[in-house]
Amino acid sequence: MTTVPKVFSIKTTPKEILEKWYHLMTLGRAIDEKAPNYLKQAIGWSYHAPYAGHDGIQLAIGQTFEKEVDHIFLYYRDMLTALSCGMTAEEIILNGISKATDLTSGGRHMSNHFAKIAWNMHNVSSLTGNHTLHAVGVARAIKYYGEKAVAISVQGESSLSEGYVYEAINGASKEKLPVIFAIQDNGYGISVPKKDQTANRKVANNFTGFKNLRIIHCNGKDVFESMNAMYEAKRHALETGMPVMVQANCVRMHSHSNSDRHELYRSEDERGYVLDYDPLTKYKRMLLRYERFTQEELETIENQAKTELKEAHKLALKAPDPDPSTYLDFVLPEPHHPEKYPDGLHNETGEKKKLITALNETLKAEFRHNPDTFIWGQDMANKDKGGIFNVSKGLQKEFGPKRVFNAPIAEDFIVGTANGMSRYDEKIRIVIEGAEFADYFWPAMEQYVDSSHDYWRSNGQFTPNVTIRLASGGYIGGGIYHSQNIEGALTSIPGVRIVYPSFADDAAGLLRTAMRSRGLTMFMEPKALYNDPKAATVIPDDFEVPFGKARIRRDGEDLVMITYGNTTHMCLEAAEKLSKEGASVEVIDLRSLIPLDKETILNSVKRIGKVMIVHEDKVHSGFGSEVTSVIMEEAFEYLDGPIKRVGSSFTPVGFHRSFERMILPNTEKIYIAAKEVLAY
Amino acid sequence: MNKTGIFYSFSSTKTAKAAEKICEEFEPEFKIQKVNAEELTEELFLSFTNLILGVPTWFDGELPIYWDEFVPAIEDLDLKGKTIAIYGLGNQVEYPENFGDAVGIMAELVKERGAKLVGLTSTEGYTYESSRAEIGDKFMGLVLDQETQPRLSKERISNWVKDLKAQFS
Repeated sequence: MTTVPKVFSIKTTPKEILEKWYHLMTLGRAIDEKAPNYLKQAIGWSYHAPYAGHDGIQLAIGQTFEKEVDHIFLYYRDMLTALSCGMTAEEIILNGISKATDLTSGGRHMSNHFAKIAWNMHNVSSLTGNHTLHAVGVARAIKYYGEKAVAISVQGESSLSEGYVYEAINGASKEKLPVIFAIQDNGYGISVPKKDQTANRKVANNFTGFKNLRIIHCNGKDVFESMNAMYEAKRHALETGMPVMVQANCVRMHSHSNSDRHELYRSEDERGYVLDYDPLTKYKRMLLRYERFTQEELETIENQAKTELKEAHKLALKAPDPDPSTYLDFVLPEPHHPEKYPDGLHNETGEKKKLITALNETLKAEFRHNPDTFIWGQDMANKDKGGIFNVSKGLQKEFGPKRVFNAPIAEDFIVGTANGMSRYDEKIRIVIEGAEFADYFWPAMEQYVDSSHDYWRSNGQFTPNVTIRLASGGYIGGGIYHSQNIEGALTSIPGVRIVYPSFADDAAGLLRTAMRSRGLTMFMEPKALYNDPKAATVIPDDFEVPFGKARIRRDGEDLVMITYGNTTHMCLEAAEKLSKEGASVEVIDLRSLIPLDKETILNSVKRIGKVMIVHEDKVHSGFGSEVTSVIMEEAFEYLDGPIKRVGSSFTPVGFHRSFERMILPNTEKIYIAAKEVLAY
Repeated sequence: MNKTGIFYSFSSTKTAKAAEKICEEFEPEFKIQKVNAEELTEELFLSFTNLILGVPTWFDGELPIYWDEFVPAIEDLDLKGKTIAIYGLGNQVEYPENFGDAVGIMAELVKERGAKLVGLTSTEGYTYESSRAEIGDKFMGLVLDQETQPRLSKERISNWVKDLKAQFS
């Protein structure tokens, strides 16, 4: 372990720098102390986590950050960090009282979450430390594009208890990325003391075994030690390209937030001694003791800060409130609109290709089309292997290991670093295999949910341009974790497009559209159809399918089956069988679940009157429930009978083939249900 | 000259009590001048030949704030000819990873500036994981644990002062 050079000290640091620091610290503390008043006066700032006691390290982190070059992710206690990065007092207050001009979110996100996306000060969620993965992701881009910059993830020490933080640090270590993990250790996670979080009081030392990671400890209450630590961390990250963790020992002088009362769990003695170690008064004493400033000079700076705060307060109060009628804005960004195939239909003739070939060739074509396209996932790239089902076979060979690479077995890492890398530049498009099988995706749900509201939460300033591919569904004898469908759960979360093709051409067209669109797309692949000849089709080379456009795969007059994925083929088989008995059955392949093509559904329902909704996922709370509700609300009077739903039972999918046959829908079950509906 | 002083925070509790006990052990052969470490100046510090520094460990291995603020001053001092002994309180059960660290931090600081460090004590009888005060099988001073070994402090102080008397005379 090399020592940290003393670049900054009370005796040698130029006076104008000391003055700037004192100004920032005094102004910051004045806002920190004023913030609770806004709540008392019912103006806002209902969430405020005071930073007092973290002054040294927060000042240092901000001073280390170079705007528009570095990338920084602040946590909810980082008010002084934000000021030190360059934000103004007015901008801080605009966030605190949730004004329309709040730079973080225009009042959509919780107060005390400071961001200025134009400067690469990113908008983060409240989920403690989950931006660690984003910092690692953006650092991957910094390294790939060869920029002399660092990513800084700022967080409390309790966040190191989170599994995804481990995943992030492991990734930075493995990939040798220029990330600074700045850990502010005040000894508490709300009321939970450090001893209840981990065995190691110096929590950064839990990571001493990580290769390529340098760990620096500092006194986060001391300005000079903090400055030296952060300066050295940045120098090291820039010069070596390797990650650094800085653990700064702080004190929390007040409660966790304005909804916490620390007197309920901290002794009077403890509350006293943390106040005694006030970093601001310590810094002031040092400035006077070593005769760098006179008392009068410091009072002048203090008065300037007071005046500045007063002005900022006045301006912020005058700022407009958010317009609540905009609540539907920024759920999803505008997607790519196919010009040649506006309805996602074609009349191409020729050789049929399998669904797996369609995906593979489209991936390759899009990688050629956009050089800023990347893909990673588990089992993604090792010699001839390309994903667990070989969908991405040959990609690494053609596009190299910097654009096509394996990820650790860490689903949250796969998604979180995609979110992070896409923050680097709007031009980047990322495809990830979110998990080996869809049922393994659950560990990634926190990043999935977080990514789903990035666009809304940032007031339209950032959207992760990521396509998540998941091999979904059963019919392979895979059992639990290899055969489930999860779209029923996912469709309840706004902010993500969800598509589920049934045929090779639609798979190619939807994938191309997803990869050319802004925003997050969940691309679900019916893995049982990868190599099934019945899903093979002719595919135009440039085929595109717009989101939210269903496809009528078979016309009919007596009954309409609304379906997607594996069951599209079963519905077509059942329809064919029924046609021989004189029934005319229409089959609508939804292709997109979100957005949903209500128009095609309702037109068919109104024309035909009898409806079945068929999907492989569970009937209970499955997506069919939503489709049913839409029909009931918007076309009830056109129905000639109750809507019939067919899907899997409200159970897991069993391993033995007999369980699978019992649990999952099949052509026979659909046929029997259709007979009932037709007879009604 | 040849003055002996004990430097500690007058507003502290346990460190101040230990200072009282140390002074009692020195008397009557030695007259020890008590100095408030919170009001220290370079001139005052340099006016002593033998110095006993009361340096408890704060938080996860830090100097107390009053010593920390004096470090930039010490860094520029020439301490050749000074004999310095350090004592400090720590807690080996709750803070085993940095037991008595502040004693070690201060010891290194004054040694690097030419002071003769005396009053090293055996680490025997303590159970901890790591300490910056440790050098071989010794502490670079006297580490007292009033939280978990209060009954051992009296004897530890007594033995320590016996050693210091020989070093200071």
